[in-house]
Amino acid sequence: MYAAFVLAVPMFALLIEFIGYKTGDKRYDKLAHEFTSLLSVSFSFTATLGAILTFMLMILYPRFTSYLVSIFDKTFWPYGLLFFAEAGFLYSYYYGWGKFSPRVHLLLGVGLNIVGTAIMFIANAWLAFMTSPSGIDEAGNLVSTWDAVNNFIWMPINIHRMIANVCFGGAIAAAYAGFKFLGAKTKEEKAHYDWMGYVGNFIAISALLPLPFAGYWLGSEIYAFRAQMGMVLMGGAFSWLFIIQAVLIGMLFLGANYYLWLGMERIEGAEKYKKFVKYLLATITVCFVVWATPHSLVATVEEARKMGGAHHPILGILGVMSAKNTAVNIMILTTYISFLLYRRGNKVATVSWAPLGHTAQFLIFSVTIIFVIIIGVVGYFVEASVRIGLSVPQVISVLSAMISVTIIDIFLFRNARIVGQIKWGEIPARAQYMLFFLAVTFTWLMGLMGYVRSGLRLHWHVYEVMKDTSVDAFTPTLGFAATVVSSIVIIFFIFIMFNFWLTGLLHKKDWEPKT
Amino acid sequence: MKNIINIFVLTILTTLFYWYVAQMVPQKETHPPESAEIREDMSTDELIVVGEKIAMGKGTCFLCHTIGTEGARAPDMAGVGQRAATRKEGYSDIDYLAESLFEPAAYVVQGYNPIMTPAHKAPISLTQQEILAVIVYLQSLGGTPTVTMKTKLKYSADASATPAPTAVASSNGNAVSYDHLSGEELFNKYACMACHSLTDPIQLLGPSLYDVGNRLSRAEIYEAIIDPDAVVNEGFVKGIMSATLQGAGFDKDITPQQLRTMVKFLSEKKGS
Repeated sequence: MYAAFVLAVPMFALLIEFIGYKTGDKRYDKLAHEFTSLLSVSFSFTATLGAILTFMLMILYPRFTSYLVSIFDKTFWPYGLLFFAEAGFLYSYYYGWGKFSPRVHLLLGVGLNIVGTAIMFIANAWLAFMTSPSGIDEAGNLVSTWDAVNNFIWMPINIHRMIANVCFGGAIAAAYAGFKFLGAKTKEEKAHYDWMGYVGNFIAISALLPLPFAGYWLGSEIYAFRAQMGMVLMGGAFSWLFIIQAVLIGMLFLGANYYLWLGMERIEGAEKYKKFVKYLLATITVCFVVWATPHSLVATVEEARKMGGAHHPILGILGVMSAKNTAVNIMILTTYISFLLYRRGNKVATVSWAPLGHTAQFLIFSVTIIFVIIIGVVGYFVEASVRIGLSVPQVISVLSAMISVTIIDIFLFRNARIVGQIKWGEIPARAQYMLFFLAVTFTWLMGLMGYVRSGLRLHWHVYEVMKDTSVDAFTPTLGFAATVVSSIVIIFFIFIMFNFWLTGLLHKKDWEPKT
Repeated sequence: MKNIINIFVLTILTTLFYWYVAQMVPQKETHPPESAEIREDMSTDELIVVGEKIAMGKGTCFLCHTIGTEGARAPDMAGVGQRAATRKEGYSDIDYLAESLFEPAAYVVQGYNPIMTPAHKAPISLTQQEILAVIVYLQSLGGTPTVTMKTKLKYSADASATPAPTAVASSNGNAVSYDHLSGEELFNKYACMACHSLTDPIQLLGPSLYDVGNRLSRAEIYEAIIDPDAVVNEGFVKGIMSATLQGAGFDKDITPQQLRTMVKFLSEKKGS
């Protein structure tokens, strides 16, 4: 979790700094600097936790560790060197703020991100190899290091983690802003941290929207490697885990939308959009319920047979991927609509083609939603081999709709008439708690998905190559996994609160002896 | 301070909520598959029962296949015993079922994707006997079982030539057939009695295991087998047992099932 945070913050810090550089708005520069201030302590924590993990692997799983070393020994050198480079870039980026020309400083940020991403890609190769090994012979001996690195799920994991890290980093940074907002004494402070929380949350939600698509890719690569592993993931031992995931993501969507709706209260002129909130809420709730409908209601194969199939006779209609894919796509579109309403809260389009633009956007949304539903219904009447491919047109249509509506929106509201101000800082305290709720939910979700990514190997350390021959070679219950995940989340938040406190010391006055 | 307490309470409550959701779903521990006991003299009815157990357990067949309802991922198995004889021209039902298990991609039923992995290879790793039992079971679904444990499949040679991939600490295909042995039989098979006495409190090359169940917990017995140098009894030399086991290929042959059986057996040695 710390590693994800340390890799994510530089990504959006650089982006925000770049926006500040291009627009000349100093607020962005200050915001990027403040995000970066969270990094130095986190980096030390990450390195320490990484060292503990390595020692634990060597102590608890010596044979497995030595096997992985025999496969990936060539990657350890660049990994170590890149860590040095990461430290160099990170500290020069942070301590060099305002000390270099903006371009040089931006270059340091680019270097930091390149090195950080490379480190993540190398570490991802190790864990991806455990799930979908390649580059080895039938006896498990190394044939090609590059093939071992470039295994089936390596690149999907890279992309999925990169997006998820941004999501997670944005959520934690937003929680930091919420924490500071709640303790702020002045209006200026409240305004600053309100804005910071909004930007952090915006980054998190922007990254959340394409995340399911990256998830589809990862899932399809797992199926492509071994369909059976895919079955274990989605229809076997872990099928119920995805119901828990649906609850978490449903909460994320509900929470993110609620934060946007609360945010509209600080925008003069946004009152006219309030009437839509109930419809948006209803849509998200219905989609959430469909997505959280169990695929099957059984725990063992014997019970499935007694039921006459894997699906519940009634709920099974909604518990299949055709319904779930449809629900999640509509939920994504709905959240995007919430954002659009927020964005135009205090604006009125003045371009001559404004009515046409609004109609075009409405039509794009309507056609996309109808198309997504039709594809979902068609999924019930076609063969399995065809059904699997139907998620692609759904995803493409939703992405296309979001991109085309955004492009129209940019031109539609160019030189728009501003009918009110955004009163930063004038937002209910519950919005700040919502930022924390979202951060905890993101963290819990991350822990859960880390468990399934690792657990789907079942009793294999390296799938089909190295068995776990210990008496502990079983996959624990979801309840047990949830206890572990919950403990980790609480420990992480205790640590991160400590980080926030340490970072806050920067702005405290120096201690002076009482006279 | 109030804000920090509020945030802490919110964090705990949110975590507890998700924890609670996870406790509400069905709880199931997934254990490594266990091999079925198959004897050469088993009757057809007995083989059907064993074959069904393998298909549902270790074979993981019904993760995708169904019986009596249209399969979403893989074909319905109802009536396959009858269909199998007419699926491919020139193929008997045994040929077809054997091919489906050894080379599942050779013929894929229309409307489905080639998602099945060969049953004799990892991760399923069914033994020859287990595959025969599964074929008997499949024949019984609408057809007449004719396969026995003596039936020779044309894939037998291929299967032995391409064992499941193994690695440093993994078990191999040969070891699987010993999973049905009792703890005492395994103790003898791996020649543990050469160094350890089971019946008397006497010291051989290694300490007596006559009352090991009183002295060590299951976890400690497990550790003593897998990592014998972790704790060495006073008066015994470190490294001898690990070198002996390594030389005998114990690490490669032992399976989780065999380990469990041995640990259970030894933990019951209470000195009486």
